[in-house]
Amino acid sequence: MAIFRMHIPFLDEVKAKGLRQAGRAKADDLVTRVTAGLNPSDVRGLLRDDPAARPNPRLTPHAEGFWLHMRPTYYHTLVDGIYPTFRLGWLSTFFFVFEIITGVFLMVYYTPSPDAAYENMLNILGNVFFGSTMRDLHKLGAEAMVLVVALHMLRTFVTGSYKKPRQFTWATGIILLGVTLFLSFSGYLLPWDQLSLWAVTIGASMVEAFPPEVVGQTMNLIVRGGPEFNADGLLRFYLLHVVLLPLIGIVAFGVHYYKVIHHGHSLPPEAEKVGEDTAKRVPLDRRVYFMPRIITRELFYIVALVFLFLAAATFFYEAPLEIKADSLVTPLHTTAPWYFLWLQGMLKLGDKVIWGVIVPTVLIGLLLVLPYFEVGPSRRYGDRRIGLSVAALSVAAIAVLSFMGTPWYGVSTSAEQEAVATLLPQTHPGPVRETEWEAIELGTFTASQYTAAPNPAMAALLETFHAEVLKVNDAERSQAEGFMIVEDWQTDLRKVTLRVVWTNLADNSPGEYSQVTYVHRQAAYNRGGGS
Amino acid sequence: MKWQIAAGMFLVLGLIVLTLGLALSEMPRMELFKASNDARAVESGALLFENSCRACHGPQGKGIEGVAPPINAADLYDGSRLAAVGWSGTTEDYVRNVIAAGRPVPSAGTTYPQRMPTWSDRFGGPLRDDQVDSLVAFIMNWEDRALAEGGGAAPPPVVEGAVGTDLTVSLPEGDAARGQQLAEGALGCSGCHVLADVGPAWNAVGDQPGVGTRAATRFTQDDYTGQAADAQQYLVEAVVQTNAFIVSGYQANIMPQNYGDRLTGQDLADLIAYMNSLR
Amino acid sequence: MTEALAEPQAGSPASPPLSRREFLYYLWGTSLALYLAGSAGALLFFALPRFEEGEFGGVITVPVEDVPPADSPPAEFAAGRFWLVNLGQQAVADPRQPEGLAEAPGVKALYKVCVHLGCLYRWEPTGERFECPCHGSKYLLDGAKIDGPATRNLDVFVIEAVDAQGNVLARTEPMDGSREGSSLPIPPGTVALRVNTGAKIQGASSSV
Repeated sequence: MAIFRMHIPFLDEVKAKGLRQAGRAKADDLVTRVTAGLNPSDVRGLLRDDPAARPNPRLTPHAEGFWLHMRPTYYHTLVDGIYPTFRLGWLSTFFFVFEIITGVFLMVYYTPSPDAAYENMLNILGNVFFGSTMRDLHKLGAEAMVLVVALHMLRTFVTGSYKKPRQFTWATGIILLGVTLFLSFSGYLLPWDQLSLWAVTIGASMVEAFPPEVVGQTMNLIVRGGPEFNADGLLRFYLLHVVLLPLIGIVAFGVHYYKVIHHGHSLPPEAEKVGEDTAKRVPLDRRVYFMPRIITRELFYIVALVFLFLAAATFFYEAPLEIKADSLVTPLHTTAPWYFLWLQGMLKLGDKVIWGVIVPTVLIGLLLVLPYFEVGPSRRYGDRRIGLSVAALSVAAIAVLSFMGTPWYGVSTSAEQEAVATLLPQTHPGPVRETEWEAIELGTFTASQYTAAPNPAMAALLETFHAEVLKVNDAERSQAEGFMIVEDWQTDLRKVTLRVVWTNLADNSPGEYSQVTYVHRQAAYNRGGGS
Repeated sequence: MKWQIAAGMFLVLGLIVLTLGLALSEMPRMELFKASNDARAVESGALLFENSCRACHGPQGKGIEGVAPPINAADLYDGSRLAAVGWSGTTEDYVRNVIAAGRPVPSAGTTYPQRMPTWSDRFGGPLRDDQVDSLVAFIMNWEDRALAEGGGAAPPPVVEGAVGTDLTVSLPEGDAARGQQLAEGALGCSGCHVLADVGPAWNAVGDQPGVGTRAATRFTQDDYTGQAADAQQYLVEAVVQTNAFIVSGYQANIMPQNYGDRLTGQDLADLIAYMNSLR
Repeated sequence: MTEALAEPQAGSPASPPLSRREFLYYLWGTSLALYLAGSAGALLFFALPRFEEGEFGGVITVPVEDVPPADSPPAEFAAGRFWLVNLGQQAVADPRQPEGLAEAPGVKALYKVCVHLGCLYRWEPTGERFECPCHGSKYLLDGAKIDGPATRNLDVFVIEAVDAQGNVLARTEPMDGSREGSSLPIPPGTVALRVNTGAKIQGASSSV
């Protein structure tokens, strides 16, 4: 009959110690299992910040548990403060996870097809609880991540932390920078609106310039899935965005962080002798233990950042969505995403092959191998004047080039078109659409007589228009004047015509340019914000 | 560390409040978004109408006599036009269907000989589905005003001193500029003869000269079936006796046959002066 | 063979001879590397999109009646992604024409994508030129670049003029080695132009 006898040790313990005692022991056991090695009194000691017992039980979860075994048991006091890390590496990781979580939520309502993608966006914004917030968070987090990752690289360069023995950590970091940029860039296309299609078209056009011609054209076809972005291209970018790049990112991040822990966080340059690396030799009195100090701080940061971003998405920020992508019409003043503006700026310097392909490739290659040829032993700021100057110059150059990448530099279109586009831009709603509908009164208004406008909002519009129209006057044209004609068109719909007229000096003939838009009472372009 | 614990707790409280507030405001937000999205569809539909439809249906959708029927008219929305064509669905579906797939037969009798072309890219047209939907939203936005105005397609106005259908009528001096205004405006000639190739193109195309040059020799051709004895009479005949001679490659009964009742002598003279200016 | 390779070099510590086992590992590894390299090439072909006749990327037929008259504004063919221009004496003699560009009257099919960064340029009747909305590159009717960040003239597609029997009467040829497609005077007897949107001739670089 022995097969039927069940073995339940708990019952034996109850028999031996009584129910209360046995139950308590069982609960203690449970806590120890969940925390991977801390019993309830250890946990309480941790929460009370009592001095750790010896041997330190708070090290057990690092040895036993999966998640904490990746984290160091203590930091050096010198790297515990904001300086020298500025927490930028931690922030990069935070945003990576943040993007994965918000991204997975968005994937629930997304189909990567030109027929469906844009309608999915409208559905997310108009028919999904927290859909708009989730989209704002994902977009905002992506922009922050690009910024934080770039700053992390700059910080690593400035403190000389890429030097021996951390060369390979730096190289994996460059890969992660690339992953971040391309994640952001590939995600840009997915809403499939005019903004995303054309910004990505511009960004991706560099591929085609790759010499020789046949290689460039083949690569272009492979990246876009056709001569221009369409169903295949959208699917390819989607797969890059949700599968390949995250996969590369996770693997590269694993290597990167393993190396960081393996070598220890590099100390501030002035803290150690030139040529020495003492990050791993932390004296007992200079240790800041992960538990409880660092884990508390990180939890606090997570809560604070989520609060910050949720508040920003609720009150200040709304991810833009233009009209549906149209592969036959390029909006005026389209630019690449801001983090690629420097590349666009370089393209204005000259040849697309040199400035769009060769120079960026060489720069990235140089960055990748930087720690292997820049082998000066000293990490001290005073000994690295050249390197730090180069870094400062690079930052300045990126800023200047980014400005040059905007439409305000080196793009000359017709002044009359510019004047109309100031009020009716094609890449965002702009002044006319954002003006209160009731304020756009019916009638014909002359730009130069903006003071006679029926209300302040119209006066502001006309004054802006007038200032731009004056630029039409040049060596060949004079007497430029702008008109704004508002007509009642339908119920709740008004037709706005912006017209610029001038006289050509050559033959005294009149010239005219006009553009029409319609504004609906409920279009609500002026009501920004996620709520 | 103590302040982090306290601040972290307050931040979580803040997060709870924020998320609750968001949750409460989601319904009105989504309603607002849908309303604004519908409104923007009307806006873009209006632009599409301006670019694609106004040449035939007129700037306000009131139709152009002889080219295309009014769509900003009560009979479309009160069901009478649907009953006339035997459509059992809604007006909105009818409008969407006609825009997308065009019409296999000319609409509303013989006054509008030109068929509605297909516009949806599913049927070889230039517009995507969402663009067709925007156009429908714009057209349906006429409903309340059209119903308030009442009436259907206005009958062709009776013209005092209409020129009739006599080829030998003597015409006053014509003004080509006014003729052009007529052709592009109320008469709607340009809908077929300039913008589309429903009728022979007036302008010079390739090695084919303009209508003025062609008219000078057309009546002498072997296959000519009309009664005209000179270029002027040929053009008069082409306008007022539209089936007297059909240029090869085109069909009879396409061009409205009522221009003799709609034009004064001066109108016809101006129109002919304009056609003669297209060499 | 193993003995010959195992000859220890003077001054360096003696390395053990290449054993058969080790040699086989190298052979295996090399063959694997070669196969993977080949597979990478196959993967490229897998990812390469292909085109059917009639859609963009294939041949598009334009009846000769649809060709715009000489020196008139260009005609847009959205499905084929090109502008059909008909250069007359006026376009050829345009004073804005860059030097060194020997343009003759005839027809060209200009690929409607700006050679700078891939935006779609438009015809601006006021200035009688094409303008790109993104960065303001400007081109004449014949595709010659006159202003802006673009560094070459517009790309053209190869046009074939065919008669009623389908014989090819004339074809667009590169004027400058492999670049700068010529304009094509329409020979008498032509009934249609066949525009091959898969055969693009790049514009010549322009220093203007």
